[in-house]
Amino acid sequence: MTTSGSGVAIGDDLPQLVIESVDAEKMKTMAALLRDPNPIHLDPAVVDALGMGTKVVNQGPNNMAYVVNMLTAWAGGPGRLTKLRVRFLANVFAGDRLVAGGTVTGIDGDRVTCDVWLARNGTEPVLAGTAVVHRD
Amino acid sequence: MAIVALETLESLVGQPFPGGTFTVEPYQNWLTNDVVLAPQRDDDLAHPMYCYYAALAGMGISLDELFALAHATADDGVMFGEAEIELVAPMRVGVTYTVRGTFTSVVRKEGKKAGVFDIVAFALELVDPTGAVAGISTNSFVFPRRNE
Repeated sequence: MTTSGSGVAIGDDLPQLVIESVDAEKMKTMAALLRDPNPIHLDPAVVDALGMGTKVVNQGPNNMAYVVNMLTAWAGGPGRLTKLRVRFLANVFAGDRLVAGGTVTGIDGDRVTCDVWLARNGTEPVLAGTAVVHRD
Repeated sequence: MAIVALETLESLVGQPFPGGTFTVEPYQNWLTNDVVLAPQRDDDLAHPMYCYYAALAGMGISLDELFALAHATADDGVMFGEAEIELVAPMRVGVTYTVRGTFTSVVRKEGKKAGVFDIVAFALELVDPTGAVAGISTNSFVFPRRNE
């Protein structure tokens, strides 16, 4: 099948989600939630000492979550996501502008398979993967 | 970190995690939505990333302990490899999930720039109070090794 009942077709681009500026303060909240002691999410001096730059590094799962948000906004809510598999390609830093997007690659009834990505400034890939959502 | 005998690492495959339980508390879900810029909701649907968060929080060992099993520490430049969440059912706020899982694979590779590195993968299931698997979180970490 190349087109779903709701008019989704293979090759369709998913509506993009833009994160205008990754917030260092939110990394601190997530570090507390996850009990993640890694200082690269908290202290720019540590990042600098490691030769990774001067801005704190976003948690990888946060980057994955932006893609989840893009998918669930399109599919109709958090209950529509069935599977997401991603590869982490590069670090995301405080202040980065990110764009999440994807392309429909397969349709089986209401089950839609997509290639997904997250890119810095819309062009530099930081995460890539595949997803399955249910969409009426 | 020094190169570890591959046979030593491969002995991890099939080794179970201690496991545990995790309940998505309403404040945790609210804060998570706030952090990752997801809309807040009036129903009990948790952010789908709780398939990952709950699995790692309930696996029964810390990340530092997991790294130690792979003969590494967080200071060794351990990196995320891949992550997969499979939601058999939506994650729900207030539900207590039992977490169980095992190490699933160890692969050694060598790159021109990266040198020797090991990819250690594990899978964790989230079991709801009825005994049904609600989600599966599969992850791999990359452990750079260096010759000494």
